[in-house]
Amino acid sequence: MSLIYAATIAKRELRGGLAGFRIFLLCLLLGVAAIAGIGTIRAAIDQGLNGEAATLLGGDSEIHFTHRKASEEERHWIESNSDKISEVLTFRSMLQARPETDPTPGLSQVKSVDANYPLYGEVILAPAMPIQAALATQNGTPGMVLHPALIDRLGLEIGDTVRMGTQDFQLRAALVSEPDTTLSDLGLGPRTIVHTEALNSSGLLGPGTLFDAKYRMLLPATADIDALQSDALAQFENSGLRWRDRRNGAPGISMAVERLSSFLVLVGLAGMAVGGVGVSAAVRAYLARKVNTIATLKSLGATRGTIFATYLMQIGVLAVLGILLGLLLGGGIPTLAIPLLADQLPIPIEAGFFPAPLLEAAIYGLLTALIFSIWPLARAVDISPAGLFREISGSANRLPRWPYFVLVLLLTVILVGLAVRFSGVPMLTLWSAGGIIAALIILAIAARLTKALSRRLARTRLMQGRPALRLALGAIGGPSSEATSVVLSLGLGLTVLAAIGQIDSNMRATITQQLPERAPAFFVMDIQQSQIDPFTAAMLAEDAVEKVESTPMLRGIITEINGVNAKEAVGDHWVVNGDRGITYSASIPANSTVSEGEWWPENYTGPPIMSFSEEEAAEIGLKIGDEITVNILGRDLTATIANLRALEFSDMSLNFVMVWSPNALSGAPHTFLSTVYASREAEGNLLRIMAQDFPNITAIPVRDVIQKVSSTLESLSSAIRWGAAATLLTGFVVLIGAAAAGADARVFESAVLKTLGATRRRILLSFALRALILGAAAGLVALAAGSLAAWAVMTYVMDSGFVLYWQAAITIIAGGALANLAASLAFAWRPLAIKPAQILRNQV
Amino acid sequence: MGSPVLSLNNVQLTLQGNAGPVRILKGISLDVEAGESIGLTGPSGSGKSSLLMLMGGLESVTGGTITALGQDLTNMNEDALARFRRNNMGIVFQSFHLIPTMTALENVATPLELAGDRDAFKKAKAELEAVGLKDRADHYPAQLSGGEQQRVALARAAAPRPKILLADEPTGNLDTSTGETIVDLLFNLRDRHGATLILVTHAPELAARCDRTLELRDGALA
Repeated sequence: MSLIYAATIAKRELRGGLAGFRIFLLCLLLGVAAIAGIGTIRAAIDQGLNGEAATLLGGDSEIHFTHRKASEEERHWIESNSDKISEVLTFRSMLQARPETDPTPGLSQVKSVDANYPLYGEVILAPAMPIQAALATQNGTPGMVLHPALIDRLGLEIGDTVRMGTQDFQLRAALVSEPDTTLSDLGLGPRTIVHTEALNSSGLLGPGTLFDAKYRMLLPATADIDALQSDALAQFENSGLRWRDRRNGAPGISMAVERLSSFLVLVGLAGMAVGGVGVSAAVRAYLARKVNTIATLKSLGATRGTIFATYLMQIGVLAVLGILLGLLLGGGIPTLAIPLLADQLPIPIEAGFFPAPLLEAAIYGLLTALIFSIWPLARAVDISPAGLFREISGSANRLPRWPYFVLVLLLTVILVGLAVRFSGVPMLTLWSAGGIIAALIILAIAARLTKALSRRLARTRLMQGRPALRLALGAIGGPSSEATSVVLSLGLGLTVLAAIGQIDSNMRATITQQLPERAPAFFVMDIQQSQIDPFTAAMLAEDAVEKVESTPMLRGIITEINGVNAKEAVGDHWVVNGDRGITYSASIPANSTVSEGEWWPENYTGPPIMSFSEEEAAEIGLKIGDEITVNILGRDLTATIANLRALEFSDMSLNFVMVWSPNALSGAPHTFLSTVYASREAEGNLLRIMAQDFPNITAIPVRDVIQKVSSTLESLSSAIRWGAAATLLTGFVVLIGAAAAGADARVFESAVLKTLGATRRRILLSFALRALILGAAAGLVALAAGSLAAWAVMTYVMDSGFVLYWQAAITIIAGGALANLAASLAFAWRPLAIKPAQILRNQV
Repeated sequence: MGSPVLSLNNVQLTLQGNAGPVRILKGISLDVEAGESIGLTGPSGSGKSSLLMLMGGLESVTGGTITALGQDLTNMNEDALARFRRNNMGIVFQSFHLIPTMTALENVATPLELAGDRDAFKKAKAELEAVGLKDRADHYPAQLSGGEQQRVALARAAAPRPKILLADEPTGNLDTSTGETIVDLLFNLRDRHGATLILVTHAPELAARCDRTLELRDGALA
């Protein structure tokens, strides 16, 4: 094989221009641009977050405790290592605008701050004033600022009095923005900011109350953050201390952006795979036009290797061109748009030139172009010159020789390997890549079956006398059919949409229809031990209340398992990440059953023992007899696992991963958590009773939780739908490519049919039927594959039932049919308009 | 003698070429009687195929009129012409012009189906058998030799029993022996169905088999 000779021929061939490669270029361009664009935006956000890290964190570093403030020793360490500190407490509470006349409370996320807040940045208020001035006590009433949504909900004006717990505050300003907001703060209820000192007589923050304490530190310029972190963790990690610093100021946002962009890159790869189908079709069409050249070159003595190299070089040159255009678009648009949009975005973002994501996109593009080009190229060079002169389509069903097969496999492994490496979510990437490859294989098989079935149907008696339909089926089943391109390109995007549509419909039905029927009306938190009996009595005194379930509530962090650091023992499992709810009980809690071991006697007084959730125990490898150490309110407590329980979470009843024997925890300061089951109409009245009689407690309407989950689900499915739509856009380009590639054949077909007596209406009907049948077939296969995926997710991931939603299903099939019809009819005008003689004369 | 099956009156055809308008046919007048066979000869570029296209309504005249079976083709729109061909004409081309996505049988059945014939496939099978291709019915055109493809084209043209059979150099792409077989089949079909045949050919011996021979030179009858 002479590469120089191959390069010479390739150069000569390329003089013919790029006319047949528009779809090839567009497919690559779209795929590369999408991935480069996502990567560039991610890099710009990372850069923005790094620039604002200390402001977003609220200090150079932060030490965080759950449900307690720092001990004297811890506070001393914090103060001795900082130039200045700021203590910030966060918790949920209920606010009442007019306790006497309208005691209906509003749920809020409260942030209470000290005089040093904020260490960095500025709280923007309306009317404009410094935050400390807004919170100051005037005429004996402390100040408060509220998020505008809460002001609206409670019908407040600036200057009005608002009650929180037993303390009255004066609303001084609306909160426009806080410098230290992170995604983790965006929970249930809008923000309230008050001064911590003002809470002293509020009745809030009693023992066992659920609150977080954060100590933001302004470090000396010479501080060694690494050394400080090591020292803090060495001294206090087992007391439940958590550390963050400006090196990763907003890990919540950073991780969310990372996850979302990783996910979008995976969607981009699915789009790239669809683009690959277009690339493959374009290469096949190009080689079909080059049949005579290839045959002639072979006749003149060119080896298969030379011919392979010749056309691979041409494809390589075009691929590089497509990739460069994609990088220009994907890297360029965000770079130009970010400066214009930066002020309107809720997170910091900084434009710039980021080579890494561009390189990643370029590599994906090049590998995709190669993987999808080698297959048709290998087929073409493998045929004998005589076969090539006769008809290339005769080789269409042959597999390439094994070295090409291995090469394609190797490149695919490299592509998936790089995606795993770059994405940061290896398992998700592997599953996605497996899913894409499996979907492509299923769709390719489905395309073959569609062709075979169409061919068979076209020959049945049923089709006799229905020429338009038979023509359509004959064309789908016949040689040079576009079935494979159409089913593959349309099918992949539609599969994702079908899966999302079915999962979304099933989840929505569970959350908005089935769940509310069984779920409680309220979760009530922070009920003090002295309040639990009067609270239960007060609730049960109301006719509308069906039942009240209460359980003691503590929170703690698992620090050790069998004497070994918990994270070292089980890795990054959610159970050992952060604090967990813990309860104690003499009897087996409702909605759970002991699956292994025995429950302890009611009056058990032995060493502390606990019950652990069966599912989580299996995930992290725990068994009966293992010792778990949990840090609760700064104290390490150890218990042995006595039994495992199977839990039922689906009805939103109270459940805990860890349930302790009462003798171990009942003496610790704690509150109670209750669920109140009541009719919907009574909810407003119950909320008023709770706010009036138990002002320190916090009631979370389950309806709000369902609303929140529902809207989160909607945002998520909407994001995924946009991703799938992007894949469909590439798919549509491939459809256009397939329709364009078949345009000449249709013109010829139309000319012959007209000669044989077919009217234009009948020809159009045949073309439309062909497109509709093929599109619907792609939709049907996509629906089957998508529904299968949705069923698997609902059954195995969500532990829920699955129902096929026909409306969503029919939308997918109709969508597929209509998309292909649109692409096909875009090329129908010429065959219909042309006079037969114009074509038949040139075909002589 | 009755009224002619095909009547051309001062037919002209001018096409737009790259260098300007080109006069292809310069006023052809001709009457063809029912059952007559006419051999149309002439050098390349003389306008033979163009004249055949006009007779088949595949091209529109730029002057004059063409009447076929008493109907003025020059006043019909494209769909009316298609219906007219469906009911009255069979056309055979030099390049066969089979639809590549259809089998031989489907190609032959198509004009019958378009005409609404309920026995389209039965008749198509019989027609394929008549041209000796019964065993190749399920083959696609790409799987057939040139001679076989032309036999399928003949069967397709003859299947609806057209009153007028137009053949444009049907042996032009075939070797001598295969060409002879095709010509025999063509005349055989014409004899069996009593159709009027217009045959465009370069070969004088082939034209001589027709009832009448006409020669075209430079767009006019010699």
